[in-house]
Amino acid sequence: MDGGIIENDLSALVDDRVDDGMFRVDRAVYNDEQIFEREVSAIFERCWFFLCHESQISNYGDYFWTEIGRQPVFVHRQEDGSLKCFINACSHRAAILTPFKQGNAKTLTCRFHGWSYRCDGACIGVKNEEEGTDRNKFNLREIANLASYKGFVFGSLSEDVSSLDEWLGAARPWIDLMVAQSPDGLEVVAGNSTYKTDGNWKLQAENSVDGYHVSTVHRVFAHTIAARESKGEYTGIKKTEAGRIGGGVPTASYDLGNGHMAIWAQHTTPEVRPIWEAKDRLEKELSPKQVEWILTKGRNLYLFPNVMLMDNPSTQIRVMKPRSADRVDITVYCIAPKGESKRARAGRLRKFEDFYLTAGMATSDDIAALEDSHEGSMARGAQWCEFNRGIGSIVEGADEEAKELGFEPQVCTNNWDHEVIYHGFYRHWLKMISGDRSV
Amino acid sequence: MSDLREEVTDLIYNEATLLDRREWDAWIALYTEDAVYWVPSWVNEEETTEDPELQLNLIYLRNRGGLEDRVFRIESRDSYASVPLDRTVHVIGNVLVQKEGAEEVEATANCIIHTYGKKGGLTRASLYDFVFRRVNGDLKIARKKITFIDDRLEGPIDVYHL
Repeated sequence: MDGGIIENDLSALVDDRVDDGMFRVDRAVYNDEQIFEREVSAIFERCWFFLCHESQISNYGDYFWTEIGRQPVFVHRQEDGSLKCFINACSHRAAILTPFKQGNAKTLTCRFHGWSYRCDGACIGVKNEEEGTDRNKFNLREIANLASYKGFVFGSLSEDVSSLDEWLGAARPWIDLMVAQSPDGLEVVAGNSTYKTDGNWKLQAENSVDGYHVSTVHRVFAHTIAARESKGEYTGIKKTEAGRIGGGVPTASYDLGNGHMAIWAQHTTPEVRPIWEAKDRLEKELSPKQVEWILTKGRNLYLFPNVMLMDNPSTQIRVMKPRSADRVDITVYCIAPKGESKRARAGRLRKFEDFYLTAGMATSDDIAALEDSHEGSMARGAQWCEFNRGIGSIVEGADEEAKELGFEPQVCTNNWDHEVIYHGFYRHWLKMISGDRSV
Repeated sequence: MSDLREEVTDLIYNEATLLDRREWDAWIALYTEDAVYWVPSWVNEEETTEDPELQLNLIYLRNRGGLEDRVFRIESRDSYASVPLDRTVHVIGNVLVQKEGAEEVEATANCIIHTYGKKGGLTRASLYDFVFRRVNGDLKIARKKITFIDDRLEGPIDVYHL
């Protein structure tokens, strides 16, 4: 790039002419390191960023170490049950304070020079303390904002953000559909998997709500499961979602605003979902529309910028940690209703292992496709990715399904093959990297 | 070397060789019909999952059909992650018979796996915990637990990478 893309007009990266039937994005957004640097400072370290689920830090002293953008932080459960989030660095000489990714410590003692901190961040010990030392000066630094939406914990390094509820906006009813599945809430199941992906984080964001790839990339998954079922294998898993993968079922996609996106597809065999056992209770507690959505619609929700919540035959939190323009680390967790039967839990986990892992038989294929897209994006001779499928059938605002469930998307279409939901994602992305303070 | 130790070692060597040479059907035939194939995930930096039924595993196949699924997918040539197929070399060491029962034999082994693919060369390692059972005179794998040492995984992982 002459003089670098950043010095040029950033708005030239997104060619937004929907009225002319054109929405395209310069492929440099995937691989330009200057753009990535801008994303770190203007997006990841400025907006709400997903940190963890409350069940991962349920007891006093439990901590969870993660990053916001590039900055290491940890969330710590306080004595009164509240949460605090601190920069994960000793106030003395910057060493990381938590020995593990997750653990329990009511007092954290730095392993370098032995300084110690109470759970609330107060510096309570300086080894061989010199006279006149003001320990208060060394209290841990809390991040600017921390909030939880029904168990999902988000933090922001910026003072200047709207409330979390406002930020999640139209995505909230989608989260509610997961949370409503147990009267006792959700829990992250023990075990997880982290994988490095040689590709831009936005390709992962796109992939998570891309219905269009399913019938090609996951065709082999459907064939494999069909072959398995024809042999009568695997009691307890039963039929899978061949219809959903093969196409031909009702689907829809939504731009939920603030860069959030979502899709659903109707299940051909909803009775195999682990949540089916809770049908009677759900019907008593929730509206018929909510029950229908929970039981019969496979749903993928992307929350800008770094987390995805999937509710299909298995249920997943997928967290992104963008490392550079060409690398994102992804950690996946199975999240499940507390108190479900062992049979449902086992079915949920086996389905997760089949599909959702880099050692599984579908996510592995997604990663390969994503990495190929990243590599192909290096070809500057072919500058643009068009997101034009469905551009003629955009519905402004809510469709019937959205109205009945009760959320107001920016736009939607009645087909998950469509690509118009990415328009909102890239508009929001552009606003943020351009430093627009209104978002 | 005792006869049993030699037989166990040969079987483990044979499995590695069949995987590296992509002789999938012969590889699967080393397993009993009801063989359990288990790759736990890491709960934290020091411990793996211990209850495969109710915790998340990297792979947990409860009979040989699960291995057949993997081979079906590889042989379909329709799996993005499996075309082109990574090259692999498994090097087995530290084979020890841990327990010799009337019906079953338990053994442990280590494996260094070098793979070459799109990301270039990668060297990783596994701890193996085997249970063998004699079927019509031949020792077969009735259970294989693979503790895959790597945690942040580079690229797709399939049965031939482990």
